[in-house]
Amino acid sequence: MSALGEMRRLGSSAQKGKKDNKAAFFFLLPWFAGLLFITVGPVAASLVLGFTEYNLIQPPEFNGVDNFTRMLDDTRLHHALGVTFKYVAVSVPLQLACALGLALLLDKGLRGLAFYRSAFYLPSLLGSSVAIAVLWRQIFGAEGLINQVLAFAGIQGRGWISDPDTALSTLIVLNVWTFGAPMIIFLAGLRQIPEMYYEAAATDGAGRWTQFWRITLPLLSPIIFFNLVLQIIHAFQSFTQAFVVSGGTGGPSDSTLFYTLYLYQRGFNNFDMGYASALAWLLLVIIAAFTAINFWAAKHWVFYDD
Amino acid sequence: MRFVKSRRVAWTTLLAVTLGAALAACGGGGSDAGQELSKEPVTLRFTWWGSDARHKRTQQVIELFQKKYPNITVKGEFKEWNGYWDSLATTVAANDAPDIIQMDELYIASYAERGALLDLGTAKKHLETNDFDPAALQTGQIDGKQYAIPVGLSSYSMVVNEDLLKEYGVAMPDDNTWTWQDLKAAGAQVSKASGGKVTGVQSWGFNDAGGLNIWARQAGASLYDDKGNVSIPPSVLANYWTYLADLAKEGIAPPPSVTIERASAGLDQSGTATNTSAFATWWNTQLTSLTAASGKKLKLLKLPGEAQAKSPGAYYKPSMYWSVSSRSKHPAEAALFVNYLANSEEAANVLLTDRGVPANKKIRTAIAGQLKETDKAAAGYLDAIKVGPAPRVTPKGASGIEAILKRHTEQVLFGRLTPDAAAASFIKELQSEIDAAK
Repeated sequence: MSALGEMRRLGSSAQKGKKDNKAAFFFLLPWFAGLLFITVGPVAASLVLGFTEYNLIQPPEFNGVDNFTRMLDDTRLHHALGVTFKYVAVSVPLQLACALGLALLLDKGLRGLAFYRSAFYLPSLLGSSVAIAVLWRQIFGAEGLINQVLAFAGIQGRGWISDPDTALSTLIVLNVWTFGAPMIIFLAGLRQIPEMYYEAAATDGAGRWTQFWRITLPLLSPIIFFNLVLQIIHAFQSFTQAFVVSGGTGGPSDSTLFYTLYLYQRGFNNFDMGYASALAWLLLVIIAAFTAINFWAAKHWVFYDD
Repeated sequence: MRFVKSRRVAWTTLLAVTLGAALAACGGGGSDAGQELSKEPVTLRFTWWGSDARHKRTQQVIELFQKKYPNITVKGEFKEWNGYWDSLATTVAANDAPDIIQMDELYIASYAERGALLDLGTAKKHLETNDFDPAALQTGQIDGKQYAIPVGLSSYSMVVNEDLLKEYGVAMPDDNTWTWQDLKAAGAQVSKASGGKVTGVQSWGFNDAGGLNIWARQAGASLYDDKGNVSIPPSVLANYWTYLADLAKEGIAPPPSVTIERASAGLDQSGTATNTSAFATWWNTQLTSLTAASGKKLKLLKLPGEAQAKSPGAYYKPSMYWSVSSRSKHPAEAALFVNYLANSEEAANVLLTDRGVPANKKIRTAIAGQLKETDKAAAGYLDAIKVGPAPRVTPKGASGIEAILKRHTEQVLFGRLTPDAAAASFIKELQSEIDAAK
């Protein structure tokens, strides 16, 4: 009764509500300032710069849609797109499969679960850091850990990172290794599935595989969808790993030239910031398109319980 | 309605603010470099790239300068080569360029022709250039304006590991007459005698355009013509890559992936420094660092093919330059500091040949007595070789040539492009970068 009275009093004093709003805005001000000057401002500026020729030193000059027509003939851009698509198409499904597999194992109520969860999550925190990329270079180098292990088994290794046939694969492995974040989300999703479904299925004689296929997957599909969208966006934006592993070149022979890396090279190495800005907007359109396709396709395979 | 209006207002304001900031960044401009020195406290920013040893020496020189001019404070900002150019481009764009900039031949036109560098001719009052060789000074001029002062001179050379040759019983080639075929033959002997533990030659074509310049000049061509367009004939370029690819194929140079790994790892991991390659091309001034890393007896040889060349391939390259930002707030003091770096014996005694054999002739003589054995050899090499006129400075827009060269070399070594196809693609790409910057 007293709670209701409190609410009535709150509702009646609209004056106080406005005051509260003001206070809220005041406390949000630092965040708004950050959003405006660090995110929205530069984003808007890059849209404008996308229609200019801008060499970083002299003032930008408008050149209409030149930057966008130029993309059609830019063979290195097309190559970078190919590398990026390959990276996204291979690394994201692999990463999600690993995440789901581990989540299913950990969900079985292992002893010391908290430890394993942290241990598997750790790479996600480190994965996009410079330090790990440097470490990766050592591990996959010609005299690195991988080759030393292979040498024990009598197998002649190779310079995994310095060979254009394998360089991209090492980056894919690096991305797969950071499966911790989607794994945690999968774990949370698995906990949401009521135990009674499995009990009922077991009573009806359904095996483990059938249970997984008929209960776990459909009920987990919104979570899978969520992870898929997130990880695709994330993979398209990968930069640090390729930058560090290839020393900023995208080499050997452009085999690790991610889209973002090419954009960076145009902007900062070739004084071509107008074109680089236009490239950034193309990437935005590409990611938006993939996300839209994902949402459209989701209608056919994502199952919502409620 | 009210909402729509206010949203539009918000967007317009936002755009105006952003553009305003962008335009402000592009404006500005320094004061006169010819004015009297300030008596007030002045702070200058000075940026350079290089090794730890260079950072220490440079910091020492800064302290000496500050003792002499107590009202001037110089703040050093140093980086490694790759990060250096990224950060310089961004600071210049943000109108926050350091006052004194260590500049390279690859980038001088890109910055000077876009108005980022001060014409040092306007700073004559504080900056002397009388003791410089006119030909050397000329390498810092664009359209007759002195945008940069050369610091040191260097020249491309073949570094040979004498101890390795002795160990494998390979005769030292006569560098007055040797050809590229002789290099191949001597290299093959080393590779064979060592059983593959040591390769005869370390592959090049990765770290700088020096080798390509030499190759073109020996064939009577040049990388760029006077107007700054790419002028190297495709066949000359194709020969260059055929030679490199053959070295790797015949086991005279290491396999491509080893070469690539070493090239990105830096001097200390190179075949010369680790005593795993007998012959390698380097700038002569790198002899000291290489000797320190390898611990063996290294010697500078003249380049192969010079005796047979149509014109001398060798030339004096300014190892780097001093330049001043055109937007410096203290151009007079900045020029004074450059003057100290370029002309003061006090500074030269600390710096010695770390940035190349000094281009200032008076300084070169002054420090001759203090040089290490290897530095003396590097200085002597410059006198021993026959050089032609220096090639045209890298045109505006072509500063990315090394990345383009590296990528094409990789593609040839891994057999993804034939030398002919690589030559056509290289010329097309480099020329289009130059055209885009015009």
